[in-house]
Amino acid sequence: VAKTSLTSPPWPEVKLPDPVEEAKYHAEVVRKVNGLISAGEYGRLFAVVHFASKQWKITSEDLIMMDNVLEAECGDRIRMEKVLLVGADDFTLIGRPLLGKDLVRVEATVIEKTESWPKVNVRFWRRHNFQRKKIIANPQTVLRINTIEIYPCLS
Amino acid sequence: RYVRQLQRLQLLFSPTAADARGAREFVEEAAQDFARQHPDVVLYVSPHSGPGPAPVLRAEYLNGTVRDELIASKTSEEIVQLATKLANQSGLDIIRIRKPFHTDNPSVQGQWHPLTNKPSILTVQGPRLQPQ
Repeated sequence: VAKTSLTSPPWPEVKLPDPVEEAKYHAEVVRKVNGLISAGEYGRLFAVVHFASKQWKITSEDLIMMDNVLEAECGDRIRMEKVLLVGADDFTLIGRPLLGKDLVRVEATVIEKTESWPKVNVRFWRRHNFQRKKIIANPQTVLRINTIEIYPCLS
Repeated sequence: RYVRQLQRLQLLFSPTAADARGAREFVEEAAQDFARQHPDVVLYVSPHSGPGPAPVLRAEYLNGTVRDELIASKTSEEIVQLATKLANQSGLDIIRIRKPFHTDNPSVQGQWHPLTNKPSILTVQGPRLQPQ
């Protein structure tokens, strides 16, 4: 059959490697990463955490602000679960979609619970003599991420 | 390792004014409980007799900002809530903040630039370029 412009798809054809070889390669990569983690040869760790219906990319010692009220008092240490991704300089651990709780530990402290700046909510209908003005100040919480730790128990 | 940002709370009111009733009740009942619950905040109560300025709750923070809140015609529960709110705040100005996050080290694996993940130009074979 003659080859036309539509016989093969326009993207380059990718050949998948052998599953046996791929399994061996995977095992070796996992062993290397485990060795690195247990030897403690990683520098800064960053993590992607799902918190307050938003995903944040956090490292240690950085500030995050929520637009809600947490039930913790100021100065409480909070452990964040729902970690989606953890990465260091040489390797990343990707969760599907979450990583295990015995793998990663993200700790944060509640620093302050303030209100936002006063926002003005005005409703106005023209020619109807309708004007309502309301000042809204949402409560906010500020967290500081203390530490991100990983433990060498990959599989 | 948490340091409360509120330095001291000064309660300025006059015992004879009619609108300082909530402040007087707060001082009688709830001030001791509040001081016990927040041991790292200093609470000063300074009544000035005679008709003076309006009753005010003044909060001073560690970075020097002073915030005054009127407590005229407020019940003692509202004053307690106000005081806890001020105690939980820090002394930064309440203006619009542009980003809800702040990092000192934004990139761990190196910031992305358009040349990451591209093969090196040195290995391109062309009519004139030879691989080195």
